[in-house]
Amino acid sequence: MDLQAVNNTLPEGFRSAFNYDETSEEYYLNMGPQHPSTHGVLRLVLKLNGESVIEVVPHLGYIHRGLEKVAENQTYLQNIHLTDRLDYLSSHINNLGYCLAIEQALGIGVPLRGEYIRVMICELQRIQSHLLWWGVCGMDLGAVTTFLYGFKERELITDIFEELCGARLTMNYFRPGGSFVDVPDTFIPRVRQVIEELKRALDEYNTLLTENIIFQERTRAIGILDSAKALSYGCTGSVLRASGVSYDVRKNDPYSIYDQFDFDVPIGTVGGSFDRYRLKMEEMVESIKILEQAVQSFPQGPHRSKERASYKLPKGSYYSQVETARGLLGTYIVAEGGPKPYRIKYRSPCFSNLHALNDMAVGHKIADVVTILATLDFVVPEIDR
Amino acid sequence: MGIAGASGATEQIAEILDKYPGGIKLVDSIEYLVSWARANSLWPLVYGTACCAMEMMAAGSSKHDWARFGVEVARATPRQADLIVLAGTIVEKMGNNLVTLYKQMPAPKYVIAMGSCAISGGPFYYDTYSVIKGGDRLIPVDVYVPGCPPRPEALLYGIMELQEKIRKEGRRNPWNIRNVLKTPFLDLHTEAKLDWAAKEKEQESVQKVAQEQFKIKNPDYKAPKAKRIVKEKFEDLPRKARAGKNVLNQDFFAALLEKFPDIHLFRQSEIQPVTVSDLGPEYLLDVEIPKEKYLELVQFVKEDERLQMDLLLQLTAIDWQDHFDILVQLLSTVNDHTMFLRCSLAKDEPAIETITTIFQGAEWHEREVYDLFGITFNGHPDMRRIFLNNDFPGHPLRKDFEDPTRVVKRPY
Repeated sequence: MDLQAVNNTLPEGFRSAFNYDETSEEYYLNMGPQHPSTHGVLRLVLKLNGESVIEVVPHLGYIHRGLEKVAENQTYLQNIHLTDRLDYLSSHINNLGYCLAIEQALGIGVPLRGEYIRVMICELQRIQSHLLWWGVCGMDLGAVTTFLYGFKERELITDIFEELCGARLTMNYFRPGGSFVDVPDTFIPRVRQVIEELKRALDEYNTLLTENIIFQERTRAIGILDSAKALSYGCTGSVLRASGVSYDVRKNDPYSIYDQFDFDVPIGTVGGSFDRYRLKMEEMVESIKILEQAVQSFPQGPHRSKERASYKLPKGSYYSQVETARGLLGTYIVAEGGPKPYRIKYRSPCFSNLHALNDMAVGHKIADVVTILATLDFVVPEIDR
Repeated sequence: MGIAGASGATEQIAEILDKYPGGIKLVDSIEYLVSWARANSLWPLVYGTACCAMEMMAAGSSKHDWARFGVEVARATPRQADLIVLAGTIVEKMGNNLVTLYKQMPAPKYVIAMGSCAISGGPFYYDTYSVIKGGDRLIPVDVYVPGCPPRPEALLYGIMELQEKIRKEGRRNPWNIRNVLKTPFLDLHTEAKLDWAAKEKEQESVQKVAQEQFKIKNPDYKAPKAKRIVKEKFEDLPRKARAGKNVLNQDFFAALLEKFPDIHLFRQSEIQPVTVSDLGPEYLLDVEIPKEKYLELVQFVKEDERLQMDLLLQLTAIDWQDHFDILVQLLSTVNDHTMFLRCSLAKDEPAIETITTIFQGAEWHEREVYDLFGITFNGHPDMRRIFLNNDFPGHPLRKDFEDPTRVVKRPY
């Protein structure tokens, strides 16, 4: 057998050598880019021995749209809507991260009401994103009911956003200095209603899925990532916190007025799939806590500071970081004067989180890869940008 | 031509019946029945690339529930589906896969282009080097649903329009059926449309009467003129500096300078280390380091007890026309500090050592830089392109990248 010829036909990117032994049961399996459990267009190539995973190689780029190149030819204000399309499940938070960088560059302040709006909207967005993740996570593991339950409560929050800015998904709401429009009068009553509704719903979710013995069997001790590995891969968000490292930008480097609210950062112990799942559920409770405090002390006043016709950043580089529903999103802007940025780089949390997949999946069964993917909670357009 | 895409047997029945008197009406009825059944049992493929997929999921979930339209059984395999909703941007790398998926679907098959990206490239029409500007450049599209993203209701409307199309297509007399069967059976869409039209007509007549009565009662009434919206004025507020998390800048720089005396702050070379604190608590330490010390310095920064930069946030590059900058951003989860290390590289054949031995996470970041800037990393375990196809010409994030076959330049 011509080994060289065989080697040339092997899939790309594998570290472990191909087993030429005739008794070996090793084979390769393609998964994606069109696959329901990859949440979009991620492609994985798995090397299996029977049903056990030997190595996983993710292939990216099936939705690489060149956002960073497009951004170089648009003005700073025009770029806000492009940040929506990074991680479309936390688009408000992406907007905020971008606006914070511009505010830092130009020294723009935000009135107190504007800051309250920011915090409340971001927390609502976080809950909304987690609700969708919860539904899809259940569905990936074969529980279709959770999908319908998660979407039911999610629509309540989507309705608030719709009334707020007219959009359901790609908001384009925040501006440097606040937001482009004030919240409607119905905002606070509706948030109160959603809080009540969510408290009931979260109990229901826990009964339905968290305490379900089949679900626990499928997630406990699956895909364990220790803290040293998590740090080495640059994981952030609940993936890092599940491994026992307490790092949340809202707490450790508070932006907006997060330092005025009382909330905890839940931390996991083992770093397995169930820890990541539990953490997200607890994060929703913490977000509700923040919302409750904000609703009580929601101030009157202007919602934004002075508008500018154009935003021209002085020469230099500016960086801001925010905690999205998935982890740390960094926005790095290089300005060379003029109305357009010289270069923009988004530090996407999912990119690094997904990199840890191979380490987590090795040794598990192929069905567990789906579990790990579900609890990693990534959005592929943010990975590819 | 009979029923487009129908099985051979159906065609044969039509041919046989055609010869007999009145047979054509029977054929019409059969054709109607087949297309009615087909329109009300669409099986969509689970295919979503970007944002629009979320709205497609919303259309399928509790509130909007497309099962009401017979679009219920979302299939994960194209071999069992007959509808593909192009939800999201289609990029070059995905193009081949999409065509394969379409070819695998059994005929008759239908395509809905959902959202601006699938229609024309949308927000990614200009300047982008990888987006295919419209799904219809690859596969034939039946219905276009505009929006970015369209609401679930818009998608449902698109599906209703597709059903209308299916009911009529391929029939010899698409509009003649109502002569054959005086009342169409179970065509709820048309019925509802007629109902609404009748209701609107009724309302209009009621309103007309009311308006006339109002005019008789108030002969002097004048409608108020539209006013310009008063523009609210906002105060210009100074920015409040954030709590000093970066107070360690000075200590950090001093610690670095102690070990590596030939480093300096980026674009602040005249400033002495004593005055790093003058740059304020929000200044992010941005240190320019010589290429030879790169690897050693990253190692030092990670392991030194004072610095403890244990998390690699990002590794990227900037094209300064005459040279490249490699930019490494590190974060310390212990003392919440971030810092940049940058290293200048020559323009021709840029190369630098890899830091994958220190931070495993750097592997993909370095592949990204290699893909988009063409900078090679010596000793990298897997130096391949990460986002683009292997045969993609050039490196798109370079400032001198030009590819008229792919890029449409923004005209303003």
